Amino acid sequence: MPKDNISLSYRIMHWFTYHPWLKIISLLLAILVWFYVKGEIQQFNY
Amino acid sequence: MSTSAIAYLWNAWKPALEILILWFVIYHIMLFFEGTRAIQVLRGIIILLVAFFLFQKLGLGILDWLLTKLFAISVIAILIIFHPEIRQGLARLGQRHLFITALREEELDQVLKEIAAAADALAKNKIGALIAIERNDPLTAYVASGVMIDARVSRDLIETVFTPNSLLHDGGIIIQNGRIAAAGCLFPLSQSQDLSRIYGTRHRAALGLSDETDALAIIVSEERQDISLVSKGRLYKDLSPEELVLKVKEMIKEKKKDA
Repeated sequence: MPKDNISLSYRIMHWFTYHPWLKIISLLLAILVWFYVKGEIQQFNY
Repeated sequence: MSTSAIAYLWNAWKPALEILILWFVIYHIMLFFEGTRAIQVLRGIIILLVAFFLFQKLGLGILDWLLTKLFAISVIAILIIFHPEIRQGLARLGQRHLFITALREEELDQVLKEIAAAADALAKNKIGALIAIERNDPLTAYVASGVMIDARVSRDLIETVFTPNSLLHDGGIIIQNGRIAAAGCLFPLSQSQDLSRIYGTRHRAALGLSDETDALAIIVSEERQDISLVSKGRLYKDLSPEELVLKVKEMIKEKKKDA
């Protein structure tokens, strides 16, 4: 819980080890949503 | 680098930025629901979204039409199904600890001193207690099983909650971000056969919680009048209030180095 003295390497490692699957799934979803919206925009010429 | 490559990169940064922002938002929505009962509904919605996208790409018109209509109606359904989570999420937006997840050293000291003093007093008065401290794994699902309190950690409040015949004395207290999030919370019972028969349901609940999460659980035994601590499925028994504070601090720091 204490925030001080948290190293940069710890932060980077934590970013990769904390819920890695959630990160992968959310990235895939983000790409999917982006392409879907782009398709819709192109189709309807917004 | 040729001019066309620069122009290509210049045009590519916008979609990349948009996808990054979308990723960040979707990840935080999923992280918020992780550990709650709503995650199963969210998984179902994600599967439907992927199916919808695939149907569209494959040109399966009927299924695409069906899912489009279903999504139009489901906006209301989502609002009803996720009503408690939406309310809780909006309330959390206004709270400081959404952005500051870590406590300062002196705040942690104060919280642990209050918990240790309460545990000591409860043990001396032969009153049982169970206190879970959240670390990295969210305890939101267990918070939902109890009664929300969201109060500062204080010895008096902990003692009051565990006073026999009080409405919340059954179950455990959950400490999240240095505050008492809820009381009367139900934890899963450990199925371990190794646990001695002298330990009751409270110890089993603490071990069960530590089997499923990285939370620390403090148990006050009413029969033996002692304080124990459970972390990663390991039981540390007969701790003095001072030892408890040191041990919890040590474990929190250890966790920080590990991860």
